[in-house]
Formats: sequence, C-alpha cells, structure tokens
Amino acid sequence: MSWLFAPGFFSNGPVQAALVTGTMVALVCAPVGVLAVLRRQSFAGHAFADITSTGGSAAVLLGISPVVGFAAAAATGAASMEALSARRERDRDLVTGAVLGAALGLSALFLYLSATTRNASGAAVTVLFGSIFSVSTSSWPWVVALGGLAVGLVALAYRPLLLSSVSPELAAARGVPVRLVGLAYLGALAAAVSLSALTVGAVLSTALVVGPAAATLGVVRRPGRAMAWAGLVAMLSVWGGIVLSYDSFNWPPRGQGWPVSFFVVALVLLAYGASRVASGHMHARGRASQQSEG
Amino acid sequence: MPAALTLLAAATGASACGTTTVPGGGAQVQAVGAESQYADVISQVGGRYVNVTSVMSNPNTDPHEFEASAKVASRLSEAQLVVQNGLGYDGFMDKLENAVSPRGQYVVVAAQLVRPRPGTFDPHLWYQPGTMALVARAVARDLARLQPAHRAYFAARADAFVSSLAPLHQAVSAFAAGHPGTPVAVTEPVADFLLQSAGARVLTPASLQTAVMNGTDPSPQDVAFQDRLLSRHLVRALLYNEQVTDAVTSHFLAVARAARIPVVAVYETMPQPGYNYQSWMLAEVHALSRAVASGISTTRL
Repeated sequence: MSWLFAPGFFSNGPVQAALVTGTMVALVCAPVGVLAVLRRQSFAGHAFADITSTGGSAAVLLGISPVVGFAAAAATGAASMEALSARRERDRDLVTGAVLGAALGLSALFLYLSATTRNASGAAVTVLFGSIFSVSTSSWPWVVALGGLAVGLVALAYRPLLLSSVSPELAAARGVPVRLVGLAYLGALAAAVSLSALTVGAVLSTALVVGPAAATLGVVRRPGRAMAWAGLVAMLSVWGGIVLSYDSFNWPPRGQGWPVSFFVVALVLLAYGASRVASGHMHARGRASQQSEG
Repeated sequence: MPAALTLLAAATGASACGTTTVPGGGAQVQAVGAESQYADVISQVGGRYVNVTSVMSNPNTDPHEFEASAKVASRLSEAQLVVQNGLGYDGFMDKLENAVSPRGQYVVVAAQLVRPRPGTFDPHLWYQPGTMALVARAVARDLARLQPAHRAYFAARADAFVSSLAPLHQAVSAFAAGHPGTPVAVTEPVADFLLQSAGARVLTPASLQTAVMNGTDPSPQDVAFQDRLLSRHLVRALLYNEQVTDAVTSHFLAVARAARIPVVAVYETMPQPGYNYQSWMLAEVHALSRAVASGISTTRL
C-alpha cells in the first residue's frame, strides 16, 4: 500500500488529528448540505463563507481559536439574514451584497493588523484557505459542540424542514412554523460552514458543504439516502485530500507538500462530475426505455 | 495606529525631518536603517553627524510582513543614506526608493557586501558575525562622501565598532570549541548563520524553516520529523522566533517543554531599549550557551 500511503502516514501526529477532525466535519456538512441544495440556499452558504472569513481573521487578531471566530461570525450572519428575510427580494440582494463586501473588508483589516501587530504572518492563507494539519486537538470540543448543534437542529426539524423545502405554502397550511424552521436551518448551516472553514478555509468552506450534496442529489433522490451518500462522498474527499497532501511531499517542489484544501475541493468536483455523467446515463436510459415501451 | 508604523528616532533628540544643524556648524546627514539593527550601526558609526531613523523597530512585528506607510516614504524621500538587508527581506524598501528617493542617495545593501551563497533561503544576514563589520565600513565610506570634512571621525568610529565586535567573535569561538557540532532545532532560519558560525548543526529541515518563515502550512512529514528531534532528545536546544509565534511554533514549544529541551528566543529586529547590535548578539550567544551547557531556557532577552 506504500504507493497510496507515503511512509509514516499512519503514525504521523498531524495526519491522525486531521483525519479525526476531517471525519467529524464531513459527517456534519453532508446532511446540512443536502438540505441546502433542496432548499436552494447554497447562496446563503456562500454568504456565510465570506462572513466566516471575518470571524476567522478576528480570531487570529484576538489570539483565540479560529473555530470560535468562525462560529461567532456565522451566527451573526445567520441572525442578520433572518432579519433581512422579511424584506423585499430586491432589497435583500442589495443589502446582502453590501454587507458581504463589508465583511470581506473587515477581514482585510483584521488580517493586516494581525500581520503588523501580532506577527500572525500566515494568517491570511490559514484563514482563507484552511490549514487542517495545524488544527489543534484543543479545538475538538468546539468541533463536537458545533457539529452536534448542526446535526441536532437538522434531526429535530427534519420532517418540517423537508416539507417546507419542497413547498413552503403547503407546510404553512399544515401549521409548520416555517420561519422558525428556516431559522433553525440557518443555524445548522452556519455551524456546518464554520466547521468546513476550519477544514478547508473560509473561502472554500461551501465547497465541502454543498459539493458532496450536489454530487449525490444528481443520482439519489430520497433525502435520507442522499445524506448518507453525501456523507460518504464528503468523508472520502477529506480522507483522500489528506492522503494526497501527505503524498505530495515527494512531488515538486519536493519537501513542501500541496495544501489539503486543494485536494479536497478537487475530489469534491470530481465526484460532482462523475455524478453528472451518471445522471446523464440514467436519463438517457430512462428515455430509451420509455421509447421502447411506447 | 500600530506601533510598527511609527518611526522611532534612534538618535536622541533628533528631529524627524529637514536638515538639523549640530553644535560646531554643519548639517546632520539624514539616514534611514530598514531594520533597527542597521539603524543602530549607522548611529554608532555616524555619531553626532547623523540623524537616524529605523523603519522597523518594533520587535513585536514580523519584518517579512511589513507594509510601508506614507510616513516611511516621506522619511525616505529626505534620506541621504539608506541601509537595508536585501535578499527580498525588506523588498518594500526597493519599491519605495524607486518611487521617492532623491538623486544622490547612498544605499548600502548588506546582501551585496556579504554575497551569500546563491540560493540561500536564509535572509537574516546580521546573524552572520562578519556582516556588520562590512556594513559599518560601507557606512563610514558613504558618510565620508556626504561629509568629507568628517572622514577621519567616521573612519575612527567604524574602527571602534569593528573592534567592539571582538567579544562576540570570542563568544562564538568559545561556544564552537566548548560544544563542537551541537545538534539544535529551530522554527525559522532566523539565527541559522550564528549557529553555523558557532559550529552547531541545525537538524530542522530547510523546508520546515521556510514554511514557518513564510507562514505557509508545514508538511506533516516535517512536523513529525521535528517532533521526533525534540521528543527523542536528538537536539540540545530549540531556537524559536520570539516575534512570530503561531499554532505550529506553539506546538513545537509545547513538545520541547514536555521533553525538557531548553528553548531560546531569537529576534529578527533588535530588541529595544537596552540593546545595541553587539550586546544583542552577545546576549543571543550567551542564551544559547546557557541552554546547551545548563539546560536553561531563555524566552525573553
């Protein structure tokens, strides 16, 4: 197996920690991501990604754990999105654009101040593009707490969430508190994006939430089953990313290793491409069988 | 405004701009040192005939990350003599000089005097004990061109500076003789030149040092290698950059502490106040000796 796992892979401390963190994050992101796709809220996920970068860079400046910053910023984002949801759609777009721009501007300020006053020289790369090998095990309680929150919210509101995703009117008619359910979901999404940001960085964080879900929903219809498959895709992407990043130590430029986040999002994209091809075949077969029957 | 961006006048009572007259007539040479250690050498050689400011004098900032402010630009536009490190360490100086420098400004670049091996990844030339002597001579030469009347004064002060480096050379030789081939680990290449001169062997892979210096993620292989150096007592000390600590360096410090490997803080810019270049370097060598000989850590100079 040494062709797949470069020497020392399994005994390597940073690798072991990254595998544990990555697995937890992947398993949280998948179900939340499936709902994001079903509810057509992947843009909200992108918005969270911008906002979490502010939180991550603030955390560097304050010298606290990045996951705390990510989570605090995403929670603020969820609250403001909820506050905005009452407005007209056109207003909402404009306000979202302005707020996201300001969030990235704040990130720029915090990163600048971190670099010039706190000596956090690699902060920009770490916050924006992730650095799972340097996530310390002291972040694990936060990962478990946020992951538990996201999965718990999704599990608690599972049926009403699905119903209101498919048809908000029908859900409202059946007495589902649509707005409350929506808020609960935003909370879960915020938590999942924060965890993803810790793994692959703020900029790429939606890729791990939405990507595996999008890949799965192309071929698997039933939400429960899609969540399980998305979990598998996310987990394999993260594991594959860690393995490839470890192996790339021997690739040019030798002795450096390529970033994990690059491999993770590349594998997610690969899974998505494969799913598009597979679903294309399924459609073609479906049409062919319809024609032969008719 | 962060302290990093404020200019600290190194010469006492110096005014920040314009020409200043000194008792006995004549104007002071306006000079800029890109890092506080170079400013210190200018002021030791130039004495009362120069007014020196340093661009980076806050030891709590990482010079690699410095972004030049408008204030630095305006100071540089008045400077007649500039001393900088080169090797991309203070690349912002080149950009600013291209933009604002007056005609006839003398620029001393340490890297051009030392001529390190091509491809060296370590820009911290002032940790090479011979570097500052060359810089001092170059400064004296350029100051004499600016103020020919005081040529002898500058030459004498440069001589005095060079001979004041003797205790440093002695301490380095004493360490090399007393602890030949001492294996050490580092987080960044800050003091590598000094360690080489002292006969120590830096066992940390260059790729790890470069990654930490540039703030990129070190590879897990390198991290595990360094962990092993520390936990299996393959090194006698860990030298770390006191001015730049992040998750990775904190991790190594924790591993070193757990393995009871002494740690030594090294600085990229001269810690102030209370130090000049010579006493700073000497303090670093003493801290290294203490760590290797008696296992005592130095986390602050």
